[in-house]
Amino acid sequence: MGRISDAFSLVWYRYRIQVAVFVLFLALWALFFALNPFAFTRPFTYTSLMSTMPFTIVPALSLTYVIICAEIDLSFPSVMAWASWVLATSWTHFGPNLLGVILALLAGLVAGFLNGLLVTKARIPSMIATLGTLFFWRGVVMVCSQGFGIPLFMYRDALLFKLLVGRIGGFFPAQMIWTIVLAIILWVFLNRHKFGAHVYFTGDNRTAAQMMGINTDKILIGVFMIHGVVSAFAGILATLEVATFWPSLGEAYLMKSIAAVVVGGTSIFGGSGTIFGTFFGGLTLGLIELGLLAAGVAGFWINLVYGVVITVALMIQVLIRETEIKREAREILSKELPSPKS
Amino acid sequence: MSIEDRSEYLVETRNLIKRFGDVIALRNVNFRVGYNEVVGLVGDNGAGKSTLVKTITGTYAPDGGEIWIKGRRFKRITPKIAKALGVEIVHQERTIAENQPIWRNIFMGRELTNSLGFLKIREMEEATMKLIKEMGFKSEIIYPGKLARTLSGGYKQGVQIARALYFKADLVILDEPTIQLSLSEVNRVLEFVKDLKKRGKSCVFITHNIYHVYPVADRFAIMDRGRIVAEFWKSDLSIEDLSNILVTIARTGTIPVEYREINLVSRPLEYASS
Repeated sequence: MGRISDAFSLVWYRYRIQVAVFVLFLALWALFFALNPFAFTRPFTYTSLMSTMPFTIVPALSLTYVIICAEIDLSFPSVMAWASWVLATSWTHFGPNLLGVILALLAGLVAGFLNGLLVTKARIPSMIATLGTLFFWRGVVMVCSQGFGIPLFMYRDALLFKLLVGRIGGFFPAQMIWTIVLAIILWVFLNRHKFGAHVYFTGDNRTAAQMMGINTDKILIGVFMIHGVVSAFAGILATLEVATFWPSLGEAYLMKSIAAVVVGGTSIFGGSGTIFGTFFGGLTLGLIELGLLAAGVAGFWINLVYGVVITVALMIQVLIRETEIKREAREILSKELPSPKS
Repeated sequence: MSIEDRSEYLVETRNLIKRFGDVIALRNVNFRVGYNEVVGLVGDNGAGKSTLVKTITGTYAPDGGEIWIKGRRFKRITPKIAKALGVEIVHQERTIAENQPIWRNIFMGRELTNSLGFLKIREMEEATMKLIKEMGFKSEIIYPGKLARTLSGGYKQGVQIARALYFKADLVILDEPTIQLSLSEVNRVLEFVKDLKKRGKSCVFITHNIYHVYPVADRFAIMDRGRIVAEFWKSDLSIEDLSNILVTIARTGTIPVEYREINLVSRPLEYASS
């Protein structure tokens, strides 16, 4: 034996969380399929899943960066709304063009930069700082919009509109393509680029990273800015999907996106996590929501179920961490001590 | 050229002074490290050992005096310059990211990338494998992709030494490398130090446990209250002598009379040519 089984166990060890998330996704799908075969054989079910899940998954993808850094960003739902207001206002004045999208993304960039400054330069714990900006940007949106929505359905036929949230071939939502593209880009930068390497070090051992010459403040500001832009993009997609800006946009995604990240196996202790996990974590949550509705459970239960899912996912994380630390300590000891005479 | 303008040592400090507010951490320290030499820097807690090496490697800016590295004089130095001149420090606080594989830890902050900043992963893994083999890690259980947290304490020190070696260090400074290590782990670290010497590198080994440093050092420098009070060749001393001297210094601040003959402080070092 030896070589092959060793190689296999190595691959398993490295990808076990991704595999677990993927298996969970498939298992849930099979379960819901069994409960309601009618709903789950209709293409419409999947179109609906793929048209709504991007709004949860997109901010969750960049939130994965933030959580790997052992920080948190609670402000992104308000940033989504803020970017959405910028887009709607720009389009109302200048028509449905790229300018509005760029301005909205810039709005997200500014919000992310502010978060980054508060966390690194003002040294406010990110939990508190972003709680502050959560209220701040929501307040900005409320003041700017005076609480009114802005209709955008007259731009439905614009090319840009179709590119962002159209239905390819009449059924495949364009926003899912954007989500996949974004996931691939963020995966590449996290795993194949120096920046991603430094993101992991910043979350894993910040003091060590600084001693080795990594400017962790710069990394953190960068991560918050990426999260700002990506959240803004999610806000744009969510606005265009319903063709209306509304001032409370984004509120629903706070817990869902955080849940997608933790269900996807990203450690809340920082230093480890994957984009793949977040992607399928998000899909799993969407599937749960859809499956429960299809199985005839009332919509009121959804939040309760999310609460349970997040809590259980966190408990499993803590449990895995503890057992792994124990097992590794035992392994190290057994290698150090001479084995007893046989 | 007068003697003031040259330094024949790998690293030398002249009248180095460092203050932290009212506290004087280094008082006119003259410290020397030769080529291919292991120096044991010993002394009580708070004697200034860490401050001295952090000043040499650029973490702290000195308030006076000079630092000479490879014959070049500096009033102050940055971590970047120190590294570029081949002076690497392995900090007392472990600079290991526990959830990352060994190869990422070796290249932490100095990743090999192409011009766009994308990682050359294969190159880094291969370089790591080479280091692991060369340094005599048990290669059947330690491989580049292994997570750092699954390594024992001695190997974690080894990873940090490997890092210094990869980046062409001529002087590796180990700040309390054996602290909190078990006996067999201490031996492993000592093996790494012997290996450094064999490769023609120099090493400064900081500790307050002389039993750890005695077997590997060529020379000892003893610090007390911000001063180097004594320097000895190992060949002139037994470990009992060294222990005796340290106790006396701790009690009286001076070295016992019978050892003054062999004290090397403010004398040029004459290396046995071999």
